[in-house]
Amino acid sequence: MQGGLVPFGIALLAAVLLRPLRLSGLAVTLAFAATVYLVSGISFESLTGSRKIVLLGLAAPVAAILLGLFNAAWMRSLLAAAGGASAIWVAQRILEQQQLAHMFLWGAGIALYAGWLVFWMDKLHDQPVRAGSAGLALGLGTGGAALFGASATLGMYGIALGAAAGAYLLVQMVTNNRLSCGRIFALPLALIAGLAGCLAVLGAELPWYALFPLAAIPPTAKIAPVSEKAALWLQSALLSAATLACAAGATYLTWRVAGAPPL
Amino acid sequence: MLKRNALAVLLAALPYAAHASDSYTVDPAHTFTHFTINHLGFSTMHGRFDKSSGKVTLDPAAKNGSIEISIESGSVSTGFAKRDDHLKSPDFFNAAEFPSITFKSSKIKFKGDVPASVEGDLTLLGVTKPVTLTVTEFNCGANPMNKKYECGAGAVAQIKRSDFGMKAFLPAVGDDIKLEFEIEAYKD
Repeated sequence: MQGGLVPFGIALLAAVLLRPLRLSGLAVTLAFAATVYLVSGISFESLTGSRKIVLLGLAAPVAAILLGLFNAAWMRSLLAAAGGASAIWVAQRILEQQQLAHMFLWGAGIALYAGWLVFWMDKLHDQPVRAGSAGLALGLGTGGAALFGASATLGMYGIALGAAAGAYLLVQMVTNNRLSCGRIFALPLALIAGLAGCLAVLGAELPWYALFPLAAIPPTAKIAPVSEKAALWLQSALLSAATLACAAGATYLTWRVAGAPPL
Repeated sequence: MLKRNALAVLLAALPYAAHASDSYTVDPAHTFTHFTINHLGFSTMHGRFDKSSGKVTLDPAAKNGSIEISIESGSVSTGFAKRDDHLKSPDFFNAAEFPSITFKSSKIKFKGDVPASVEGDLTLLGVTKPVTLTVTEFNCGANPMNKKYECGAGAVAQIKRSDFGMKAFLPAVGDDIKLEFEIEAYKD
């Protein structure tokens, strides 16, 4: 309910209502905010890793709008670097407790993962169907894996992203018209999913190698040989099948290690 | 003049020398923190933290003292490993980010020569709140096994986990947590 139905409904409404303003991409952040409110409340004291994810997730669309004023070639690399730095900040308290070698290893790993997702999702920001399919799988894959990895909160954050991206995709499938996308959709989605994955590895039981199939989702959505001329429902279905296979891989890897969630 | 100042300093120091606190080190093998919490309205679940450390000072004559206890949040144990993993996760005790739960006393109230309650600050998940422990048991003496002098105590407290930002699964999993401390500490 909190992680699936509510964010799906809110994203559906937002995607439709904000369409004339070309702000349908905001659907993801609005849906995520609703889930955060219902699951844990919007509070930033004390500033734990999970709360830093919420803070960054809610700030990301504002940053995306501001960055939209610039269209420099280096913008994508800058965003990826900022995504990597965000991962370090989110995990800072955990990293500080590690031995130096582990601190650098884990720090570099999570920065690379978050930066990678931001970079590749940014490459999809002008392709709404591919971005929606990637968002659907990235959200559900991160959420499912985090849920099996013993963190229901991070799990619901991820599933909320997947549900929101699913609603965004559904509007395009039903109307056969592309919605506006942009960084306002891609940046928060990549950032929240990436950071939730990192925190689930460091703070819960998500195995680090489960991040590889998740990292493959945006590139898969980018390069999957699906004709842009095909009907949008067909494009969505084919792209989602390819990306959801990656998400299923991540969830399966976590389930093998951690077993079923302790409900 | 110098002699008079020295005498004044000596006299001022006398009460402290006469009421010097005894310091104790917590015995981790006999010190545990238990907790109980309502599960979905059906039953009361029990758990405990297996590892803790700390220092105690006591001066029954002056009726004061101090307690500092540090509990390893990653040592939480409920008899079911999968649930323990969940309790260590960011949903609950967030052990990776906050490896310690601490209690630091600010005032010990005595009833006669025996501590009756301990006021202090509990820090959980980076949030510090005042908590009062009610002392249910207090005994001192030589340990019959190793002959060392020690004190032991039991104490209880009630907290709301939401006060410390632990809000996962509320209200299905209860908000009220009863804490029970069993402490033994050897005289240094």
